[in-house]
Amino acid sequence: MNSIASASASSHQAGLGLKQVHVRWLITLAVACGAIIVFFPFFWMAVTSLKTAPEIQRVPLQIAPDHWLNFNNYFEVFKREPFLRYLLNSTIVASISAVSSVVVSSLAGFGFAKYDFPGKNVFFLAVVGILMVPFQSVVVPLYVWMNDLGLLDTYAGIVAPDLVSVFGVFLMRQAIETIPNDYIDAARIDGCSELRIFWLVILPSVKPAMATLLIIKFMWSWNEFFWPMVVISSPQMKVVTMGLISFTNMYFIEYNLLTAAAVISILPILLIFVTLQRWVVQAVVMSGLKG
Amino acid sequence: MLRHQVFATAMRQWFRIAFPRNYLDRRKRAGFLFVLPALLFFGSVFLLPLAQSVTYSFYKIAPGGAKEFVGLRLYEKVLTDPTFWTAVGNTVQLLLFCVPTTVVLALAVALGLNRIANLRWRNVWASMYFLPFATSLVAAALIWQWIYDPIYGFLNYALSFIGIAPKKWLQSLVEVRPAIAAVSVWVRIGFDTMIFLAALQSIPQEYYEAADMDGASAVQRLRYITLPLLNPQIIMVCILELIFNFKIFDQVYATTQGGPAGESQTIIMLLYDTAFKYFRFGDASVMAVFVFVTLMLVTLLQWRLFRKPVEY
Repeated sequence: MNSIASASASSHQAGLGLKQVHVRWLITLAVACGAIIVFFPFFWMAVTSLKTAPEIQRVPLQIAPDHWLNFNNYFEVFKREPFLRYLLNSTIVASISAVSSVVVSSLAGFGFAKYDFPGKNVFFLAVVGILMVPFQSVVVPLYVWMNDLGLLDTYAGIVAPDLVSVFGVFLMRQAIETIPNDYIDAARIDGCSELRIFWLVILPSVKPAMATLLIIKFMWSWNEFFWPMVVISSPQMKVVTMGLISFTNMYFIEYNLLTAAAVISILPILLIFVTLQRWVVQAVVMSGLKG
Repeated sequence: MLRHQVFATAMRQWFRIAFPRNYLDRRKRAGFLFVLPALLFFGSVFLLPLAQSVTYSFYKIAPGGAKEFVGLRLYEKVLTDPTFWTAVGNTVQLLLFCVPTTVVLALAVALGLNRIANLRWRNVWASMYFLPFATSLVAAALIWQWIYDPIYGFLNYALSFIGIAPKKWLQSLVEVRPAIAAVSVWVRIGFDTMIFLAALQSIPQEYYEAADMDGASAVQRLRYITLPLLNPQIIMVCILELIFNFKIFDQVYATTQGGPAGESQTIIMLLYDTAFKYFRFGDASVMAVFVFVTLMLVTLLQWRLFRKPVEY
């Protein structure tokens, strides 16, 4: 009796299982097709960057380049434009804003997470409120300031509004909140000053969050376009995103060069992103920020 | 009376922090000093310039810097300018194309990814969706411009196989906005998928087991368990996409520059040109205030409608 019941139950499950397997395959297929479509522009960019100008104008279109190891376009990019300089500029700007963001955000995160002072909640709400101010709404006065301070067309001018982001303060506050208060109190009993607690107790325990913030902020600064367009005018101060645009300022766009430049500009970020994706995704999801 | 007392207490507290008398006061002061750099930064880079933007919008500013108070005249000028409303209209149309598309596609992708049992493959597919998120909008737009190319582009080539005649995409009055919206969808889909996927994974499995006991179909499970539980994330993502795409600039500047015939001119493009091409700071500030107020209203409306603020 018992065995019959269990047998019928298992056969029922097997039937369902078969149907589920079909559905699962269909879902996997759909997800995979979508992923390939999403990935395709990257593939197309890479392939185009390996073709010569006559190759990309072939009709009918030919997908594979004639020579897979034709890197002439890459050399040409550096010859046409000071692209190395653009990469250097972007690296400098993104590094400064990433480091300063980590420093200021972890200080503020510590203050908001572990201290009590009058008006703390008001201040925190004010920081949240900053999220509602679009950068484009403050860009004109910022430009005027930069002009008055003589910072137009300088590294300081590019990084100035990008030194800290609300996202960073959130991320660090959330990370520091998980540190038990006992650790801090123990350090206090041992006679640590508050700054030493920050340095010796807090920072070592939030290294992963700091690294994540460093990478995300670097990525965002590297991809920044609007503000550099506003402050930068001389060719040697351009950042990489602006450098890409300079390949389009022609009546006819040489897409083989443009895609090579795009590969150069995207690759560093993409490599970092793919290697550390798990942490980046976690942080982005945790705060759901950067609209 | 009460408010007066609160104020007095606050003043006393601040006085004690400025001149600490004991250990606890010093600790509070330390806490305040830790957040001070961030507060100063946000104050000087966002709040102060925002106030200044509002001030500028009442002044006529000559390129030399001479200011003349003109009251609401600039508002009248900008808000009755058909160019401005065309840009607003174009921006809203772009939003209508890309916000629903991104959210629905991302939701579908997240649901699909969540059903893939093999973790390694799920990660592989997921990271392919996430890749565009790490790409700059400029690079993304330029790659797509090449795919959209009317003569040598891949899209027309691919469409020719299913019998669709070649289109001009970014150079066409009709297709330019959907084409630009598609770039936004491509860039943003990974971000939204990440949020949905995380939310899906936090739904307790027991809910589905209970539904199975009651004989619920897959559609019913989606309709009565998954979607209601995902509601906060769906709303949040909609708002974030709305805000993100309302500020659309990079893609347009890199490709069409607002063309053809102003059909892809957006509000931030107009603001940029007004401020930094024609140096009409007053007019640009009116637009800046318009953008700020619009986005604030959207956020506040959502707070009112859904009570709970979006959990950032």
